[in-house]
Amino acid sequence: MSSALPAVEESKPPESARSRHTILRRLVRRPVAVVSLAVILVIYACGLLASVVAPYDYRAQNLEQTFQSPSLQHWLGTDRLGRDMLTRIIYGARTAAVVSILAVTLGTVLGVVLGGFAGYFGRWVDTLLMRVSDILFAFPGMLLMIMIAATLRPRVTAWAAALQDSLGFKGLVETGYIDYVVVFGAMSFIGWAGMARLVRGQLLSLREQPFVEAALVNGASAWWIIRRHLLPNAMPQILVSVSMGLGGAVAAEVVLSWLGIGVQPPTPSWGTMIAENQGMLRFYPRLLLTPALVVAVLYLAFNLFGDALNDALNPRSR
Amino acid sequence: MGSRRLVAILVGLIGLLVVAVVIVAVMVTGGGTGTTPAAETGPTGPTTGGGELRLIGSDPPTLDPAVSEDADSASYIVEIFSGLVTYEMAADGKMSIVPDLAEKWDLSADGRTYTFTLRAGARFHDGRPVTAQDFKYSMERAMKPATLSTTADTYLGDIVGAQQVLTGRATSAVGIEVADDRTLRLTIDAPKPFFLAKLTYPTAFVLDRTNVESGRTWTSRPNGTGPFKLIEWQLGQRIVLERNPNYYRGPVQLQRATFLLAAGASMTMFENNEIDVTGVSSFDIDRVTDPTNPLSKQLITCPGAALGCPQFDIFYVSFNTRTAPFDDPNVRKAFVRSVNVEQIANVVLRGLYVPAKGILPPGFPAYNSALKPLGFDPEAAKAALAASRYGSAAGLPRIVLTLPGGGATAPGSVEAILEQWRTNLGVDVQVQQVEFATFLSQLNRGAYGLFSLGWIADYIDPHDFLDILFYSQSNQNHPGYRNAELDGLLEQARTERDEATRIRLYQRAEQLIVDDAVWLPLWHTKQYVLVSQRVKGYRVPPFVIPSLKDVSVGR
Amino acid sequence: MSGYILRRLLWAPFVLLVVSFVTFFLGLYGPGDPVEVRLGQRYEPELAERLRHELGLDRPVGQQYLEYVRKVVRGDLGESIKFRNRPVAELIFDRIGVSVQLGLVSMALSLAIGIPLGLIAAMHQGRWLDTAIVSTTLLPSAISVFVTIPVLFLVFVRTLKLLPAGGWGGIFDVHIILPAVTLALAGTAGVTRMMRASSLEVVGQDYVRTARAKGLPERLVVGRHILRNALIPMTTVVMLSLGSLVEGAFIVEGFYGVPGIGALALDSISSRDYPVLMAISLIVALSFVVANLAADVVYSVVDPRIRYR
Repeated sequence: MSSALPAVEESKPPESARSRHTILRRLVRRPVAVVSLAVILVIYACGLLASVVAPYDYRAQNLEQTFQSPSLQHWLGTDRLGRDMLTRIIYGARTAAVVSILAVTLGTVLGVVLGGFAGYFGRWVDTLLMRVSDILFAFPGMLLMIMIAATLRPRVTAWAAALQDSLGFKGLVETGYIDYVVVFGAMSFIGWAGMARLVRGQLLSLREQPFVEAALVNGASAWWIIRRHLLPNAMPQILVSVSMGLGGAVAAEVVLSWLGIGVQPPTPSWGTMIAENQGMLRFYPRLLLTPALVVAVLYLAFNLFGDALNDALNPRSR
Repeated sequence: MGSRRLVAILVGLIGLLVVAVVIVAVMVTGGGTGTTPAAETGPTGPTTGGGELRLIGSDPPTLDPAVSEDADSASYIVEIFSGLVTYEMAADGKMSIVPDLAEKWDLSADGRTYTFTLRAGARFHDGRPVTAQDFKYSMERAMKPATLSTTADTYLGDIVGAQQVLTGRATSAVGIEVADDRTLRLTIDAPKPFFLAKLTYPTAFVLDRTNVESGRTWTSRPNGTGPFKLIEWQLGQRIVLERNPNYYRGPVQLQRATFLLAAGASMTMFENNEIDVTGVSSFDIDRVTDPTNPLSKQLITCPGAALGCPQFDIFYVSFNTRTAPFDDPNVRKAFVRSVNVEQIANVVLRGLYVPAKGILPPGFPAYNSALKPLGFDPEAAKAALAASRYGSAAGLPRIVLTLPGGGATAPGSVEAILEQWRTNLGVDVQVQQVEFATFLSQLNRGAYGLFSLGWIADYIDPHDFLDILFYSQSNQNHPGYRNAELDGLLEQARTERDEATRIRLYQRAEQLIVDDAVWLPLWHTKQYVLVSQRVKGYRVPPFVIPSLKDVSVGR
Repeated sequence: MSGYILRRLLWAPFVLLVVSFVTFFLGLYGPGDPVEVRLGQRYEPELAERLRHELGLDRPVGQQYLEYVRKVVRGDLGESIKFRNRPVAELIFDRIGVSVQLGLVSMALSLAIGIPLGLIAAMHQGRWLDTAIVSTTLLPSAISVFVTIPVLFLVFVRTLKLLPAGGWGGIFDVHIILPAVTLALAGTAGVTRMMRASSLEVVGQDYVRTARAKGLPERLVVGRHILRNALIPMTTVVMLSLGSLVEGAFIVEGFYGVPGIGALALDSISSRDYPVLMAISLIVALSFVVANLAADVVYSVVDPRIRYR
């Protein structure tokens, strides 16, 4: 499995500024892009609005109605403890959505900031960043993520529990939100490097441009240059990276939960659902295939959308 | 331009070639370097009658009898090594202690001194005769602190002088006497009737001093005394045991046993005739018990149950009786009575395990069929909670159930239990999984308020369950339960020599433990095993004892 | 050129040092205490103290780390916690060969399928064949091993009874087929995509247009110019993947019972066998670094522009 935020290749020098409208138009013309985006948005929306959308409580068990086939009351049937599958899938979407959004946001912010510093200040700052990211890339990504999640989780949980107890509120540990922190923390720790390299590359090539020199001479601040030139030029590639990153984060969350070091039960996650049902493929395939297919569809959508975005940004004619 | 490209491609190809060469080199040497202690015995496959048995196994953490403390290790150890006495299972399932390396023994009048006479033909695998000195060496080695044995105290600690050796104040135990080459005398500190049973456990097995001192990895080339020799152990791939031709009770029938460690789906392997024995999962059980399915004829039946082979074990949820909130018996009772164990066992575990009412498993000595459990009663549970010092679920502090294990999900049964606490009692319990060995060590420090565990019998005596797990000063008393009345009963039972009285004492002790809700007993497991029709004599004992001795595999 | 390579060579040990540092510290501050792990149920403070001393865990952290580094250099990777007294090096080196064999076979499969597909997709960019190829190759990898494994298993092992259910017999043995195919299914997507991207780059170049304008038959255009040039970046990709061979695909290995590094990693995660985990991380990082270095060198030979960056 590739690491959560795949390294994007060295950025190409910016061509003349492309209008955002052309890009959008090119995108919309491809049905694949539209459909995948729609899929992504629907799944994420369901997930984030889980408590509104889901028909049942995701923990409610009914030991007399285990392994039910899909019916009017349970659109996707019930699992081994009589819990409604549709509800669990929706809440699994919530886990995936929250974790991926947080991981990519944190990774992107870190990457942009650090990459920005490196590209702007150059020299030793830049070298330092490159070396650090080299080291990060030298690490087998999944393995590092696993080690972090496995080793730090109990400490983080214990710390949160202590915090809760001393401040006298409940809810952080119980709802399993604290697990999210561990998981996306681990992911963004690995993932920021790719973004940083991308931003830094952009900045470096930008510095050579005469209009930047001119702006500097005219007293423009670094911040203004970043906002006015860097971001618009880097935006398309940042977007592609974000899209791929989200997909990768979802996949990583599934693997971590499958291994048992992601979110903990009873917080539903597609990964744990896969793990608990994989022994039953022969007898109740629906229980394994439903979460697996949802993951597959989402991952596919992210990839296809990212590809379409990439193609829209760099069209090549024959 | 063209030549440059050519160069590039060439370089790339050379690089690949180099890598390929390296790979081939690794292939030739690696992937096959295991430990092959004795000479290879030629091509695989049975060479004489008795055949070869193929099974699935797990990599044992250790093969050192003094150090092992888990069932995986024990299952190999009992075939490679042996001790003074062992358990045997009769055809009707009855277990009894029989002579092993010792051909007979006498017990002194005061019940404290055992005199063992070793067999004349007892030899190690390499042919050297076994002497009483070897036993003295092995036992003292197990007790030596440097060996880091965690089981020596439990199984050999009753011997006079053992405590001195265990704490490093002496190198020799007075109670282990070598009268002559074939006579060993063991003296214990009180007339405990279960001591002989303790000697069936691996810690009391005999080892060859030269073998042990040959290096840190001596366990990969053990010189044991058991019916089988270890001839191959490729980590993660395979363990092969072969018949010991010098076995003092006569060579066994089975020529070879191969344990596949890198196995995948065992049921499928069995049906494809890749292995001869397999366990059956809860989902396959319906298919396997269907009389029209040929597999049903290969399911092993055991006396004591219509289906499956009952094990002498108990799985349970335990409370930490020393810390809040479970120091309050009403809270404990509330938690016990709000769980419908029978329903969970029938639905989630598909009726494969036996719901437990008490501590001792059915068929075990002192098992009390008339035992009165607290029983499932949600109303009574709520009432108990109300009567406790917390008054209601809201008043309780945060409660966490700790499980040993590292899997992705808590077992379905645990999730069901949690849910029943939530709906029947209104208490939201968190679950956390902790890696097994860490869990066990933290347990002893009272770190967990609520936890779940299992216990498998080591020897057949109620002492192994009730005394070891509930005596106030036992270091396996994880709930930290202190009850003077219980202690009294247990102490008395230790040295009570009248069988009937002993049983009554233990039964009273068990009822006391159950009434005070020290545990929430869950179930006793059963094993479901399929065996190929070519295999004869394979049986499933209720706990780990040597079981390959009577097996033979036809063609 | 030698300056560039020299710099990269010097960098490698430093990276390794940092990697070992990180894994060592993670292991130290992780939840599993090796002493507790060893003693398990019969934990006693006295026994624990003894064991702690024997394992050298009561010494200051910095000293422990130095000791660790010293040992690694000598080839001693410590002893496994789970498998008492077994040298970690022994555990690992037995298994690396297995993972590499599996990796090679699956990589060969991915390349054999992915390269032609990627080329075709690039030649038909934007049209339905392109999307079809991309989606089809993407599908198995997206579906994730959790589904492909049981399905493949169901079909080939259970139903058709063509392949054995588990175990391992070496590179030319039938046991390798299912795991290799499973891995290749996922790898093909990446190869296809890379090949497609690099072919697209080439297709846009002037010399291709020139060749076409000269009237060269399409077949030759593709074969002589496009394919060869598109393959060049692929060599670096291949070198990089060689580095990850050692990592082992742990889910696949675990499920099929392939005794490789991945399965070992999986096992040591659940048994918190930190010495093994740390050693695996170190070894895998080493192979990554070497592969990276090789890839950089090859690329700089192939494309001289790189050297002058």
